[in-house]
Amino acid sequence: MPITLVNPLNETPKDAATPAPKLVSLRGRTIALLDISKPGGSIFLDRVEHLLRERYGVAGVIREMKPTFAKPAPPGVIEKIRSADAVIEALAD
Amino acid sequence: MLRIVAVLQTDCPTCRLIAPYLNKLAGASIPVTAISQDPEEVTNEFARQMDIRFSIERDPDYVTSKRLQVVTVPTLYVLDDREQVVREEPGFDKKALNEIAALFGQAPIATPYDGAPQSKPGCTSRHLEAVTADGTAPALDLHSTRGTSASVIELSDSEDPFEYCYRVFGDALPVIPPTRERVDQMLRACDRDAREIIARVPPCYGEATVEKIAANAVMAGCRPEMMRVLIPLVRAACDERFNAHGVQATTHFAAPLIVINGPIRRELGFYSRQNVFSNVARANSSTGRALQLILLNLGGARPDSIDMSALGNPGKFSYCIAENEEENPWEPFHVDAGLTREQSAVSLIAAEAPHGVSEHNARTARGVLKTISYALTTVWSYRFCGFFEATVVLGPEHVHTIHRDGFGKQDVKHFLFENTGVPLRCYDGDEPGEGKHQRGTYKEIRIDGEPCYQKFRDPDSIRVLVAGGTAGKFSAVLASWSTGPRGSQAVTYPI
Repeated sequence: MPITLVNPLNETPKDAATPAPKLVSLRGRTIALLDISKPGGSIFLDRVEHLLRERYGVAGVIREMKPTFAKPAPPGVIEKIRSADAVIEALAD
Repeated sequence: MLRIVAVLQTDCPTCRLIAPYLNKLAGASIPVTAISQDPEEVTNEFARQMDIRFSIERDPDYVTSKRLQVVTVPTLYVLDDREQVVREEPGFDKKALNEIAALFGQAPIATPYDGAPQSKPGCTSRHLEAVTADGTAPALDLHSTRGTSASVIELSDSEDPFEYCYRVFGDALPVIPPTRERVDQMLRACDRDAREIIARVPPCYGEATVEKIAANAVMAGCRPEMMRVLIPLVRAACDERFNAHGVQATTHFAAPLIVINGPIRRELGFYSRQNVFSNVARANSSTGRALQLILLNLGGARPDSIDMSALGNPGKFSYCIAENEEENPWEPFHVDAGLTREQSAVSLIAAEAPHGVSEHNARTARGVLKTISYALTTVWSYRFCGFFEATVVLGPEHVHTIHRDGFGKQDVKHFLFENTGVPLRCYDGDEPGEGKHQRGTYKEIRIDGEPCYQKFRDPDSIRVLVAGGTAGKFSAVLASWSTGPRGSQAVTYPI
């Protein structure tokens, strides 16, 4: 006899977002650098910012930091980097 | 006569958070009118999703919003007969909601343990925003109180249900298939609508409807009466203070430790004595496993993807203890959290696996606690001070020695706080080491004449509870994950 199971998995509908188009070049673009506030993130991103400006000719760099690495970025932080063409995030120690 | 006007936006999370409380106010015969700053279609959808039981008027040109000088949504206005504002309350705040209910002679409508935060700031009112061409954003369905029924899966005769469930739903162990009959048995044991959303489980925020909780509880091996515990447990796990989003996704060892207190221990068979951390009782094992399955299947933190723990934690199969209140000469753990002794409770602590402390030779409270303090020194990483917490689970034999010497629970915390430190000599040399570069923030103390940095920021960073069997002079130290408002805070919910 066939058996009927109640689906125990997440069935909450999701809104699918289209990924941003891949950048062909960094030149003239604005890049956001997001530090999640882990130790060493700023050192890494300082170097990335230097390379972006010197070697790749970006138009601008937005630097932002999450108040804690242990929680999602608050809306205020997201809002500040929303205008960027791409985001580079420094994730770990 | 007073009345309430609430200015809302349908896509503001705080407005969605406050909506069920406005329903409660309206249900207590208080005149409530909401002013929606959004178009008719999304306002109607909001009212349907949130099961709104008060009138909503639209404010398309922000006439009312401007008259009331709204800055934040939601803002509640209590107006008198002459339409004068008697009280203005922006954002969400349980204390303020209860004070407003009291203005109308009503009992408190917002309890501390309903899963919602005590307060939450609102959003900026839309009439203050720049006008954009694309109109308003669609309503996000993040706070509606009723979800949909779970789908059903028909297995053919050729499919082994145990193998199917193991493959699709499990925690790498076989589970009991959540058949319609078994799930219905669970649902009959709790007087709730199967589609009621108890919480949204981080990090993927799957809706934990009563039915979904029941299906996972069946798989974990819970008896139907365990729904009494699972409903407040899921609320506690999704409480913003606990921060399940971080606990479930971190590279660290943390797992949610469930602590059960009060009469429910006896009523449902939760065990608090020997082997309390392991495989001794169906109530402990199945409740711990049910939470883990809910976190996996509804929260989405699977161990091969979003759960990034470098080494994991055996507690991610099941991590549930009851306090041994009978061997505890002090107040039980849930009384520390503000509940009465007779109130059953469930607490959650983000904890590493237990680290055993053996002390069979010390004959005094100070001797036992000194030994424990050395284990506490190694929490997180021995040179890192002031950022982390610990849970000390005292075994009954140690408790008897400590209590015999006249120590209360606060004395235990203070002694451990004053006697746990890292010698300054450990910070010598240029070799980098975790915790060394923060030493400028540490407090220097002397322990037995040796200059040390104090390990913990305050005595309450050390939680004390009693569990385990009466034979063997053992205790355990459980290290925390990231703590406080920036990490995970322990939560206690009444059952």
